[in-house]
Amino acid sequence: MHLFNEPRRRLISPGLGAVLTIAGGLVVLFWPTRSLRSDNFVFYLPSTRSIIPLETIEQTPYLPLIPVLNVVGKVGAIQEKRDSLKVWFGDIPIELHLDDKRVRVGKARLTLTQPVRRPRTQWLVPVDFLIKVLPQITRDTVEYQVGAHRIFIGNVKPISFSVRLDPTGNGTRLTVQFSEKITVNTAASNGKWYLYLGNQPVEPLEQSYRFQDANISEITFDDQDGVPKLILTPTASGLNFYPTLAEGGKILLADVLKPPPPAPQHPPAAGQPAVATTPGTTTPGTPTGEEVATAEAGPALPVVVLDSAHGGDDLGARGRDGVLEKDLVGQLVARVRLALLATHKYRVVLTRLGDTNIDLEHRETVANTARPVAFFSVHAGNLGLTAPRVVVYSYHAPTPFLAPESEGPKPLLVPWPMVFQTHLEQSRQLSLALQQKFGQISGVTADPPAEAPVRVLRSINAPAVAIEVGSLTEDADSGPLTNPGFQQQIAGAVAAGLEAFRGGTT
Amino acid sequence: MSTRVKILSLILFVVLLGSAFYLRVLTRRIFFRPPREHTEEVARTRLSEAALQSAAAPQQTATLYFPSFEQGNLLEEKRPISWSESETDRIRQVVLALIEGSHQGASRVLPPSAAIRAVFLASDGTAYLDFSSQTLADLQPGIASESLAVYAIVNSLAANIPAVKRVRIVVQGQQVDTLGGHADLSGAFAPGPARLSVSP
Repeated sequence: MHLFNEPRRRLISPGLGAVLTIAGGLVVLFWPTRSLRSDNFVFYLPSTRSIIPLETIEQTPYLPLIPVLNVVGKVGAIQEKRDSLKVWFGDIPIELHLDDKRVRVGKARLTLTQPVRRPRTQWLVPVDFLIKVLPQITRDTVEYQVGAHRIFIGNVKPISFSVRLDPTGNGTRLTVQFSEKITVNTAASNGKWYLYLGNQPVEPLEQSYRFQDANISEITFDDQDGVPKLILTPTASGLNFYPTLAEGGKILLADVLKPPPPAPQHPPAAGQPAVATTPGTTTPGTPTGEEVATAEAGPALPVVVLDSAHGGDDLGARGRDGVLEKDLVGQLVARVRLALLATHKYRVVLTRLGDTNIDLEHRETVANTARPVAFFSVHAGNLGLTAPRVVVYSYHAPTPFLAPESEGPKPLLVPWPMVFQTHLEQSRQLSLALQQKFGQISGVTADPPAEAPVRVLRSINAPAVAIEVGSLTEDADSGPLTNPGFQQQIAGAVAAGLEAFRGGTT
Repeated sequence: MSTRVKILSLILFVVLLGSAFYLRVLTRRIFFRPPREHTEEVARTRLSEAALQSAAAPQQTATLYFPSFEQGNLLEEKRPISWSESETDRIRQVVLALIEGSHQGASRVLPPSAAIRAVFLASDGTAYLDFSSQTLADLQPGIASESLAVYAIVNSLAANIPAVKRVRIVVQGQQVDTLGGHADLSGAFAPGPARLSVSP
């Protein structure tokens, strides 16, 4: 205490205090955020796949024991003591001790590379538990590549693939050869292209491929969310990506092309926004060699965004015969996509890839970043007992809004909830053009264009309409709606209606 | 005790006090328990009470709207109702009548399991209707079905209660994006068209 009575002496000198503060700040800044790591381990089984989060302790990946055993089989009794755990897997006892590398499986004693841990309440085992212990307790074959974050258990035959890049005249051709036929969906996000490799298990030979290429710098395989995919990193923005499947789905050919200079003989339509040629406008979907527009270098094509109104956990309406709206609109969107691509005049962006959960904001973001010339949201619902029937809606605001004065200055910024106003008249024209084409389909009742407060249309910065087919209700048979002929006619009418709309506005 | 020690002690005390307060805030966030939902029985009891209280009053003709999906519009239906004195109770009565369904064979506006938890009428003429989450769960999703349901409610209220200029629908006391994935509920609804389709 006498130190404080001496006015000239200080607890910490100002210099030392500053150094400690800076050092503390740097430690906080660069402290490794281990707890925020989100590495997963994927278990592929013949009929299911499970994702278990990995935990990293002292740079060693660990897996939670009980969830792992539950994925592989069934855990019987558990006997937990302060520093030991005994688990019965079927009739085989597995005994572990805290901070001990030795594991007793039945009568056998095995040694792991790292000790067993229990940082909180979960018992964790190092990943080599999978290759040392699992084969002892299950009769299924266990296939695991050391270092990978996936394991194949039982009769699972993963697909493998090889990757090759070849320079072409004004770009690069990517060739991915698969060991089996595969379906590929493409998407673009954050300046990268994503190739979703269907639903089959995939085992890559390499986790990532780096290239000294002018257009593609890296291709990475990822299945951390249980969905196998290739992630392509382009070297620059503004490149066009044209994927096609060949040989029935065993080879993926993708041309990465530099955008050509704008051709004066093909001016963009008046009032239409310039189409971005960044990865954000890539055509997603399920392309095949016959379906996708030929990948020729030319002026960037206008983008059309298709929105499946329901998917994932959102089932939508349900028909009397159990047909779900999400399945029906998925089929319709796929057909509309093919019809649009067949015109060789558009590129198509889907807001929903497959049967996935997405929110409204995601749908709006996908649509608005693509800067489309038209947005179609496809629905099915209760339209009475007359079937098949189609109604096209443009947005109707719940509360009347004041139309901006035509002579006054245009506002610099438009709030997203009010963006629909900018395209209201065009949306109505698009709605009318579609309705006229639907009306030409024999046997289909096409109602006059309608207006409704359809939420998904509100913040779309493009002419936007919702197409509702019906009736999909528990009081009506949904047979007419699932008829491929009807769906094909609807798809053709959408393409024709868009053509009529575009022809009318240029 | 020197001044320096006093200052340090004071700082330490403030830091400890702040930490305790922050810990309390964190604890509340972690162990937050949402308020218990009103059960359907409670909601229905309140609706019935509103109806029973007005049983002695003379009956007047109310105008209700029910959807016709076949025609894509709202059908008008007249029905005698013994109005309550309070406007919020009248709003309840209209919603109760809509939940009951059409007497002339028109489609349903709301499912039979629908229940209204609370009603408010703001001074600017905005009526707030707080529906139970079960209402949404049993609602038939679709653009036409949701849009016509919303306009049936709004138009029925505006036709019978002049003080209602707009209607705002919330669910379990919370603002929701849509009724069942389609109708935009982010704002208040003014009385709308009886027909969704517009002449080309």
